[in-house]
Amino acid sequence: MNWRYRLVLFSFVLLFAFLVARLFYWQVVRASELAAMGQDQYGRIIKLTPKRGEIMTSDMFALAANKIAYLVFANPKEIKQVQQASDILSPLLDVESATISALLSLDKYWVPLKSHVARDTKSKIEPLHLPGIGFEEQSVRFYPEASIAAKLLGFVGKDENGEDKGYFGLEGYYDRQLRGKTGLAVQIHDALGQPILAKMNDNVGKVDGRNLILHVDRTIQFLLDNTLKDGIAEYGASGGMAAVMDPKTGGILAISSFPTYDPRHYQDYSDTLYKNPLITDTYEPGSTFKPLIMASALDAGLVHPDTRCSICGGPVSIGEYDIRTWNNQYNANETMTEVIQHSDNTGMVFAGRLLGLDRMLSYFKKFGIGDTSGVDLQGEVVAAIRPRDEWYPIDLATATFGQGITVTPIELLTAFSAIANDGKRMEPHIVSSIQTPDGDKIAIPPKVLSEPISSKTAKIMTEMMVNAVDNGEAKWAKPKGYRIAGKTGTAQIPVAGHYDANKTIASFIGFAPADDPKFLMLVVVDRPTTSIYGAETAAPIFFRVAKNILTYYGIPPSE
Amino acid sequence: MKRPVFVIIFISLIIVILSIVQVSVANQISTTGSELVALQNKVNDYQRENTILHEQLLAAASFTTIADKAKQLGYVPAKSQVYLNTPLPLALKQ
Repeated sequence: MNWRYRLVLFSFVLLFAFLVARLFYWQVVRASELAAMGQDQYGRIIKLTPKRGEIMTSDMFALAANKIAYLVFANPKEIKQVQQASDILSPLLDVESATISALLSLDKYWVPLKSHVARDTKSKIEPLHLPGIGFEEQSVRFYPEASIAAKLLGFVGKDENGEDKGYFGLEGYYDRQLRGKTGLAVQIHDALGQPILAKMNDNVGKVDGRNLILHVDRTIQFLLDNTLKDGIAEYGASGGMAAVMDPKTGGILAISSFPTYDPRHYQDYSDTLYKNPLITDTYEPGSTFKPLIMASALDAGLVHPDTRCSICGGPVSIGEYDIRTWNNQYNANETMTEVIQHSDNTGMVFAGRLLGLDRMLSYFKKFGIGDTSGVDLQGEVVAAIRPRDEWYPIDLATATFGQGITVTPIELLTAFSAIANDGKRMEPHIVSSIQTPDGDKIAIPPKVLSEPISSKTAKIMTEMMVNAVDNGEAKWAKPKGYRIAGKTGTAQIPVAGHYDANKTIASFIGFAPADDPKFLMLVVVDRPTTSIYGAETAAPIFFRVAKNILTYYGIPPSE
Repeated sequence: MKRPVFVIIFISLIIVILSIVQVSVANQISTTGSELVALQNKVNDYQRENTILHEQLLAAASFTTIADKAKQLGYVPAKSQVYLNTPLPLALKQ
């Protein structure tokens, strides 16, 4: 009988061993596969795409919003008459019939025909009841003001995983804030596929993107865009850019540049147009740089507005070079105020010599020259200044009138905010606050970057710039009755080691009203052909915009 | 002997009542699924409609649209403004 007990025992042990092995196979080896099958039976995972945040101007109008579009797809297995379906869809989708026909002939169950299809198009296709044709809802970017401020906004493309991603401008810089967080939900359903109330969504985790509220004023942006575009056409320029800033906060009220692109169809444009030249292009500022050097000399106590220039009677020789005035006319013993008014290069060399290289470089640093401005846009470059030991006397001389030194337009604008804001240089900022999906606003406070000059110097320099506008070359274009501080600039373009006499970058920088500035503006016109001078091209554009802004702000003439 | 009978009856009653409750709750939940789908579809429709209306509002209120329409209607930019710098008297004493 003993062997029978052992046989039974052995049988049970064998049975348990088999059960353990089988359980191991199910619960360890095929665990994930079976779990997925199980989950598929009682529910399905849904990817919850967050709504991308909107970009709004200061009046809460969305410059970049979202709209509903559709992906048109097909199941080629269900389509019997491929050519007929292709011929019907071709004009509606604006895709060649041969392309659609090729897609519908593929041995697949799902092929995308066209994405970002408008609602109107969908409503034309739907009533046709074409077999095997379907629609998938998409959320796409929508720009109500078309290409206005396109380079400021940037655009939304796809990343390597096919997810939406912002590129350039605000879409690029604030992409993480705007995109939100994708969520995953498990929807439990019954045998008939109906969702069950209990535990409908597990682990949602979706967070919509945050909205950006800008300092940008829609009215000023619209004015600037249109006036600059018209000005570029009027003066036969190859391009142009402009920016308006509130000098007291550093808030950018408008920013514009041409040629530009349409962010809705960014793929149709050269990628060289995507960047914003106000932060990515460096140029020689020419005479618009003079107020910074003069303000430095005034602040250091080396000159005052009535100091007379002792070397201004003729060209100034430095080594083998002669420094001349722009019109080759000379005013002996002119005052520093007149030096700025006449935009006299020799007078600037006089101020620069008194300032000296070390002090000049020190003021450059305080004005942020050779450094990034910190503006909240993607792609700002640094216009580096050469090292101290590479400066020669001729470099010091030419730098005083803005040649042989490069800046970005935003860098120059930021430096001038010190003159317009009692000596305080403000960090330029596009975004004033970020709005969470709950409606809470996170404000971005203004930031003082440095105080390169005293309040007293800023006031003196302002008066010198008001005199330059009232009595300088651009006085004809100035709106009557307003006190506007400004300076023209005409910089030659260095080409292959020398300056091209016929191609210039014409510019004008200024602020108004001079006694209590509400805005600071820089206008740069690239290679104008009707006139090479800033006073005859950039200045009129500046004054047209300035007059409209003053009217918009309800500021009456003071004189 | 009476006590076990009472307990058995009591437990049976509890079982019957709980069974009825379970069946009725299950019955109710099973029909809520389709109601839920209908409600969810309604929410989606409202959200879609809201997005479309928001889009239409933005398109209609954009300066680009307004400027085009103003031009079509013959409006031109004002060339000059008049500022009243001296405050006018509210009332004149006769």
